[in-house]
Amino acid sequence: MFLIGHGLSVRSDLPIPEWLFGWAAAMVLVVSFVALAALWPEPRLQAPSWRPLPGEIGRVLASRPVEILCGAIGVFLLALTIYAGLEGTQSTTANFAPIFIYVIFWLGLVPVSVLFGDVFRAFNPWRVIGRAVAWMARAVSREELPAPLEYPAWLGRWPAAAGIFCFATIELVASNGDKPETLAIAALVYSALSFVAMALYGVERWIERGEAFSVYFNLFSRISPIQTRDGEVGLRRPLSGLPQLEPLPGTVALVAVMIGAVSFDGFTSKRPWNSISPDIAQFFQDRGLSPEYALELTFLLGLIGGVLLVAGFYRLGVLGAKSVGGGFSARRLAHEFVHALVPIALAYVAAHYFTLLLFQGQGIVYLASDPLGEGSDIFGTADTEIDYTLIGADATWYWQVGFVVAGHVAALILAHDRALALYNDPKLAVRSQYWMLAVMVGFTSLALWLLSSASV
Amino acid sequence: MTFEIAHAGHWLTSIAYFVPVVAFLIWLGITQIRERRREDR
Repeated sequence: MFLIGHGLSVRSDLPIPEWLFGWAAAMVLVVSFVALAALWPEPRLQAPSWRPLPGEIGRVLASRPVEILCGAIGVFLLALTIYAGLEGTQSTTANFAPIFIYVIFWLGLVPVSVLFGDVFRAFNPWRVIGRAVAWMARAVSREELPAPLEYPAWLGRWPAAAGIFCFATIELVASNGDKPETLAIAALVYSALSFVAMALYGVERWIERGEAFSVYFNLFSRISPIQTRDGEVGLRRPLSGLPQLEPLPGTVALVAVMIGAVSFDGFTSKRPWNSISPDIAQFFQDRGLSPEYALELTFLLGLIGGVLLVAGFYRLGVLGAKSVGGGFSARRLAHEFVHALVPIALAYVAAHYFTLLLFQGQGIVYLASDPLGEGSDIFGTADTEIDYTLIGADATWYWQVGFVVAGHVAALILAHDRALALYNDPKLAVRSQYWMLAVMVGFTSLALWLLSSASV
Repeated sequence: MTFEIAHAGHWLTSIAYFVPVVAFLIWLGITQIRERRREDR
């Protein structure tokens, strides 16, 4: 379990109680919904929109030298993380691996993807190594390599969902999940599995559908106004990348894992969990498990519960939308609207881990100079300390509420736009969205409760 | 398992967060029933 605190200090100067922010947020969603119904009569985000950046900037940014440089940086960082994890000090905060993986990579790349598009694709070390190995194999054998196996249609994004779930398990469940050595071994195992999968199904196909982090960051990058297409960076309407998301099997599960894991992380600081979890752990201990395994199993069940809760709530919204008519199956509707959950996942990540990224992210400055935590000072920054005065508790709360509301309004826009395209009757489209609005209000209330200082 | 009956204010504060969801679901249910009755007629 990663135990570097998420939130800090107490909110003391809010003009209204925290729960009233929840009511206000729900009102904002209802007003946004009415405004969309009145002012957004035609689908506007369904058709792809893209234009290249002016001049040669777009081609330069996506050029081969830049691609090679980014790939080399990605491979170097992966190697450094594994080396630091295996050879460095086993302190969570003094070793490069935990801060880099949990804060810079896992959290930092989310806003970067939202702002600048699918940046991780360029830095992805597994893709780089896979492509380099394929290139070398072709050069050595001097003939075309055998064609990869066809990626099974039913597999869809299930491997990515499983990969993100495993990552969340290491982060939130494993008692040694913040230990540098554990993370280094996990990175090695994941690398090996990725290489095998790429060898079987082809590098690009696996990166596009199965490689967990590629799929994860790609989802967020679809919110971005920046997209690389045919070797050129260009601009598109913000959010317009999401309606183009191919509704593959496992996509709902993936998004449920994304939101459910963050929800569970927040829930572990609440009194209901802290009241019930010792009893569940004791139950497993009474059946012969060690205290450590019993606690891990308890947390694993909690994590699974969080994911199922999110999936179930979405399912409820879909069944509600189905009940208004239109002749669509629940499965079809679940796939048609799943892209609208991505901004909600973003809102959850941004609001929940905002302070963690802001504060612990500064740790990378001293870790760059001393990645192994053994007293080196490569860039002269090893003595840098984290500045915890960057933002106060009240300001943090305002930002968190802002993230939650903005994410859910974006989700409403996407769902409304898709409904207009899906239903022939605009009235039916709006009625189907009552249920999606219920889902959004539910997720908003849950997010703000999890973020609130209410302990119960 | 410890259920705290005292300090009901804490529970009420948490419940307050979910009032909009419950209110919205009740409104939605009523709307749905009305629609069905109208269609039946």
